[in-house]
Amino acid sequence: MSVEINIPPSLQSLVDGVRQVEVSGSTVGECLKDLVRRYPRLKEKIFTRSDRLPKSMNIFINGASVGPRSLAIPVRDGDKIHIAYIVLGG
Amino acid sequence: MAINTGKILRVNLSSGKVSTETVPEKIATDFVGGRGYGVRYLYDELNPGTEPFGEENKLLMLNGPLAGTTAQAVSRWMTCTRSPLTGTFTRSVCGADFGAWLKFAGYEMLILEGKAEKPVYLHLSPDGCKVLDASEIWGKDTKITQEWLVEKHGRNTRTACIGPAGEKLVKYAAVVSDRRTAGRGGTGAVMGSKNLKAVAITASRRLFLADPETYEKLAKEQVRTILANDAFKSHKEWGTTTTQDVTNEIGIYPVRNFRYGQLTDYKKVFGAEYRKMRVGDIGCYSCAARCGKVHTVPSGVYAGAHSEGPEYESIWAFTGSIESDNIEASIAADQLCDDLGLDTISTGNTIGFAYELYEKGLLKKSDTDGLELIYGNPAPMVALVKKIGYREGIGELLGEGTKRVAGKIGKGSDDYAINVKGMELPAYEPRGAKSQGYNYATASIGASHCYGYAAQDIFGAPFPHPTDRFDEGNADIVIFNQDGTAWHECGVACAFSGGWGWMGLFGKLITAARGIDAYSDAQLEKVGERMFNLERAFNVREGLGRNDDLLPLRIRTEPLHTRKAKGEGQTVSHNGEFLDKYYSLRGWTKEGVPTAKKLKELGLDFAVKDMK
Repeated sequence: MSVEINIPPSLQSLVDGVRQVEVSGSTVGECLKDLVRRYPRLKEKIFTRSDRLPKSMNIFINGASVGPRSLAIPVRDGDKIHIAYIVLGG
Repeated sequence: MAINTGKILRVNLSSGKVSTETVPEKIATDFVGGRGYGVRYLYDELNPGTEPFGEENKLLMLNGPLAGTTAQAVSRWMTCTRSPLTGTFTRSVCGADFGAWLKFAGYEMLILEGKAEKPVYLHLSPDGCKVLDASEIWGKDTKITQEWLVEKHGRNTRTACIGPAGEKLVKYAAVVSDRRTAGRGGTGAVMGSKNLKAVAITASRRLFLADPETYEKLAKEQVRTILANDAFKSHKEWGTTTTQDVTNEIGIYPVRNFRYGQLTDYKKVFGAEYRKMRVGDIGCYSCAARCGKVHTVPSGVYAGAHSEGPEYESIWAFTGSIESDNIEASIAADQLCDDLGLDTISTGNTIGFAYELYEKGLLKKSDTDGLELIYGNPAPMVALVKKIGYREGIGELLGEGTKRVAGKIGKGSDDYAINVKGMELPAYEPRGAKSQGYNYATASIGASHCYGYAAQDIFGAPFPHPTDRFDEGNADIVIFNQDGTAWHECGVACAFSGGWGWMGLFGKLITAARGIDAYSDAQLEKVGERMFNLERAFNVREGLGRNDDLLPLRIRTEPLHTRKAKGEGQTVSHNGEFLDKYYSLRGWTKEGVPTAKKLKELGLDFAVKDMK
């Protein structure tokens, strides 16, 4: 099964500049772990020490926000995941 | 039963006349409140060509229908006027408690007209509105002013005031409330031009709700939703003091007057470094985020500098603009801006511009009162903030803003003036976030990051669809962001709260507050579009058009240098394609004028005759 993960601008330098990566996995968590397997430098940005997503990060599946507590959410073949930071500046 | 959630207080400072009015229901449904009321009333009450510092200009102070209630993050307030910096409609949003206190006093809008003969302040209390002598506080900074007012009128008093910068008509002077500012566009200078030092409100909590029971249920649901939301928790922890971590990383942190997109040692300005000097948190009325991070410099040259802030824009204004990584100096400069009543963005940008003029020999030591404006050295920057605030020495000139400074100096200095419509660009480099850049170009008030914040470009947010931040074609995204922000600012809801999962309750809360069923999501989206179009009509009536929707020359022609980040060599082509698409989607002519068809569709028939 193949899922596309879209990388936010601020993390693209850790994935050799690419914006999208094809990964395998049946849940958001498995997909992110596959991503980190390929690009280990992402690990400390995407996962906290307790293997959860940081509060500042949001996950979208096919454009819909599923929130950062989304590691167990299932995904289907062809789904597009977006990782986006929640920070806003002012 | 429909009720008014707040009246209008009209004060004529020339005659001293004070009167109250009710907002007509049609305006309450079509424009909701806050910024919506601001543009609607200014469009009606200002003649084209009104001088910003003239007696005919009006300064509005507005909250929204939800202010002062138990709902979170909806008690912000704003100033609206014709800007002395840009000549456009302008609005400037502020926090702290003043918006709630204005509501407790019974008002959603304060209309300030005319000009007092000598410095005065207004005091609103259960006894009414009095125009009082301000001679004891004229000339004083905003901290001393506010302390004086609270001592005089009691602890249950909240204030909005100007500092020396507003009194001396610095074109980007702010209105200050507690330690928050209505910063952009020079609304503090308009207040100063009216000889109005402050508005002080002594009031106890009162609610104006048509259906209090439903409102409280909705508010409790909103609070539960927000407190459980991780975006809220993240914002509570950091405020915006980590945004520069991201913008430096992706090369859109403007450095050296928008020549570079990254500081050399950018980790020295990371949020974690500011955290080491954090001494507390402070927030707005009824907002558990308490995102104002308070810092004190413990030692060194700037020991004792203490500020509620700096937040992201102010961090940038006093580091990136002059290519400094001295965060202590940024805290000192931020404090001075709050004390003197200055917009940090325009101040920092103008100082960065002054440094470039010095570098190029267009300003000399004899012009700068002996200060050597050398990039990397923050000491002259801090000195300049003070000079600008008091309009002393070179501050007299710099207080005019980059557009007018360039106009006075000439010799090609306009090429380095980084503003749109006269408003200085904020802390996101347009060449690396082009939807943000085109928002700067087309926003009603000039280059405002908040008017249509491109989270899609900057943070990868994929709604309504993802963007490539180097793509110049996302007119739909710019419009989506601008119109969404507009109706949000009717609340007046905090911009950051939009990501906390509660916006589906926004219209329902207004309905319960007002008792008018006119605030569905679809209706609110229309309100946003209506407001933006009326703001455009205001500006067109003042003679602005396509030629003013233009990013600075540097952004269009000089390649960005990003140092280690992606985006090296980028420019914004501004070749006309974006504006053609944007105007077409907006329903405007090729010159950027709202068509009669669009205005009528939005119920703005009254503006059709003014569009030539």
